[in-house]
Amino acid sequence: MTDKLSVVGKSVTRFDAVDKVTGKAKYGIDLKVEGMLYGKILRSPYPHARVIKIDTRRAENHPRVRAVTTINDVPKITGAIGHLMTQEGRDHLYLHDNIVRFIGDPIAAVAADDLEAAQDALSLIHVEYEELPAVFDPVEAMKDGAPVIHTEDNNIAFHVLKEIGELDQGLEETDHVFEERYYTSKQKHATMEPTSSCVADYSQNGRLSVYSSTQRPHVSKLYLAKAFDLPVSKVRIIKPYTGGAFGGRDYLIHGLEIMCTSLSMKSGSPVKISFTREEDFIATEARHPFIIDLRFGVTDDGILKAMEMKCVMDVGGYGAHAAGVMTNALTKGVLIYKCPNITFEGHSVYTNKALCGAYRGYGNPQINFAIESLMDQIAEKLGIDAVELRLKNYRGLNELDPLSGQRIESDGMTECIEKAAEKFDWIGREKRKVANGTKRTGTGMCCLIHHSGGRFAIPDPAAATVMFNSDGSVNLVTAAADEGQGNRTVLAQIAAETLGLDYEQVSISSEPDTDMTPFDSGTHGSRQTYAGGIAVKRAAEKAKDKLLDLAAQHLEARKDDLRIGDGFIFHVDNPSINILVSDLLTALQFEDLSKGIQVMGTSTGVAPAVPTIYGANFAEVEVDMATGEVRILKFVCAFDVGKAINPAHVEGQIIGGEVTGMGYALTEGLITKDGKIMNPNFGDYRMLRACDVPKIDAIIVESPEPSGPFGAKGVGEATNAGTAAVIANAIYDAVGVRIEDLPLSQEKILHSL
Amino acid sequence: MLYINIKVNGKEYELGVKPYETLLETLRDKLGLTGTKLGCGDGECGACTVNLNGKAVLSCLTLVAQTDEKEILTIEGLQNGAELHPIQESFVENSAIQCGYCTPGLVMSAKALLEENGDPTDENVREKIANNLCRCTGYEQPVRAILEAAKKIRGENDR
Repeated sequence: MTDKLSVVGKSVTRFDAVDKVTGKAKYGIDLKVEGMLYGKILRSPYPHARVIKIDTRRAENHPRVRAVTTINDVPKITGAIGHLMTQEGRDHLYLHDNIVRFIGDPIAAVAADDLEAAQDALSLIHVEYEELPAVFDPVEAMKDGAPVIHTEDNNIAFHVLKEIGELDQGLEETDHVFEERYYTSKQKHATMEPTSSCVADYSQNGRLSVYSSTQRPHVSKLYLAKAFDLPVSKVRIIKPYTGGAFGGRDYLIHGLEIMCTSLSMKSGSPVKISFTREEDFIATEARHPFIIDLRFGVTDDGILKAMEMKCVMDVGGYGAHAAGVMTNALTKGVLIYKCPNITFEGHSVYTNKALCGAYRGYGNPQINFAIESLMDQIAEKLGIDAVELRLKNYRGLNELDPLSGQRIESDGMTECIEKAAEKFDWIGREKRKVANGTKRTGTGMCCLIHHSGGRFAIPDPAAATVMFNSDGSVNLVTAAADEGQGNRTVLAQIAAETLGLDYEQVSISSEPDTDMTPFDSGTHGSRQTYAGGIAVKRAAEKAKDKLLDLAAQHLEARKDDLRIGDGFIFHVDNPSINILVSDLLTALQFEDLSKGIQVMGTSTGVAPAVPTIYGANFAEVEVDMATGEVRILKFVCAFDVGKAINPAHVEGQIIGGEVTGMGYALTEGLITKDGKIMNPNFGDYRMLRACDVPKIDAIIVESPEPSGPFGAKGVGEATNAGTAAVIANAIYDAVGVRIEDLPLSQEKILHSL
Repeated sequence: MLYINIKVNGKEYELGVKPYETLLETLRDKLGLTGTKLGCGDGECGACTVNLNGKAVLSCLTLVAQTDEKEILTIEGLQNGAELHPIQESFVENSAIQCGYCTPGLVMSAKALLEENGDPTDENVREKIANNLCRCTGYEQPVRAILEAAKKIRGENDR
């Protein structure tokens, strides 16, 4: 990589920082549109029922109600972007039926002059249900004779069996076989802005405009167009500032945009719906709970010869991500170690519980918790250092990815493990061990991989346009949705660096708008810095190339001899041949009446690869044997991000992700009883607070990815993938109990001591 | 309807309010001050934190009628003209903002904290902002920002 970078690698201030810190930034929940009505959604009180009749007359007669819509008027969207690849898949994007499948499933919605009236009118809607038998346990739901939740023959939403090598032979060749079962919990995104707010406006020009805090503006546009049978060009999605997403705003929110649009169409006015925190907890997506059975065979010297992984995933009532999350658990499970014999079998199963979906890590935190807990057990049993066991087995540089057939081109795993181990003082860990009264300390480590984007699995295009203004400044246009990660700042840095400009000379709007931007598959899978960055770099290179072409004509020089720097285009051997970039652009645009050219470049297409992101975590905990309470004393982690375009952003991603992971490890999880969520608030659903978390040392490792912009890969989704395992391993080291059921709550620890 | 006089960000208002109207509703819906955020409405997330007579309060749990004759400071009133308050400046400089939704509440908690204790420790800060949930940052960069803001403010006081 070039070492003369001037914008990339600098922790420039995010472009939206001042708006956010002064309260000026308008989020979905803050939006008001002239003439706007307020909507509320009526939700099912039953986990599984057939809706026989919906009587909306009394609600319609309410003096302040302007429209009522029901599930008989609108479809449910249950598909994902992968479904766009085949006709059969496209046919299955939408579901028209009268069944409700979880407590909280939308049935009807009203739009009224004010929120109070909308709320009141919900109680005027009379719904006649026929209750159906419900099933809540995914293992029960798989059995013959279980109540069938969708129209298929059974409740299996997705099944996958991947066999690499010969598992049985691998198991025979090994000296030791380890078997364990793991359970993971249903973690909620709990974004600080409740998911979600949306304003749908079908009141003008036969066009549908939706202000939606989505991660995928263009995909939302497509889905809404198809749902309402509009030309795709007539739908416009504008994404306001968004108070966090983490996967929870992938695709459309169940029932939200669809009901809101239907209300706007019926009333002829813009309509806004915002969920309350309770609605957010009970009726939007969460992390899929997994049951994972592992059977690993290893040799005496710790070489993995066989890995069997069997997963049952609880999808909940609807399964847009039933295939995606399981497939991602598969890729992470199969690819982390270079074991020759691997069998992975996954069943994604519908139950009558609140739906699950995409959540940072996307199947990886679940499978990593299981694998890295078992690896810890293997290391102990074989008397091999936990670090050494990982270094021996991980799949690194030039290894073949047996799933995509691609070779791994960048590998910072060894550096991640070694740097973090050194900073943590892994060698000195035994000497630090303390047994003081009822308190015991212990240490643990784990490693992880993740990937940037879904290039080989799903349609995953990225696009950007770079436009020079006559003063030499640049507008960068992209649909990359920034929910707080800072990706739009990072993309502006990539544009500035490519064009040889200062960061301040590149402007990017805060609100992607599908009327202004080419199709981009959205912000998911840690792809925007990598795939979005490649698109921006390509667009900027095209614009620069065009500029140099025109400069060559103007200066009567060869293009190859021209360089850009300090606001000038100049001849490399004779700098006196030069022109101010702004003078050239002004001439092209305004002075030369025969030209009228705005210099710009556009790129649309896919990234060439799905680079592997590597990471390692080290933790030291203190467990109070009298109370079961866990305190994290020390936490060191390292991530290979290829190139940190903005190191402060990367640090923020790492620490934020790890803390979400700490909550996943220790306290978080929705508790469901007979399909009802018992802890739908921040008092009963315990997220970690500032006083609960330690200072975290985040180490950035840069093993450049040849295909990445300036060597960059992604980071965001990797950062919480290994937190549960490292804490479980440290708790085991402290008190000798291995809890294989997340969260590792105080109660469970106390009970098992 | 109850009639109250309140001062918000230095400006006086005479308002007719409902007995059950929260300060958060008044600020956001009547005065258009949407910088103060609704995160839960139950007093558990801290996104709606404002300062009432210099103390941090949760505006979603405060009835506006109780604020009669009192002074309220929200995130919109913290700046001095175009100049950011040192806490705001420090949040910007320390990359303490990601999605930004909890930021106004965090900043207002920090403001009240630093009024009370100009030289807090890392632990003091973590205790005081424990009311403010943040899902993006993991708290590290905001804590750093608040400690640095304290330094800035002390520096100004020294002058």
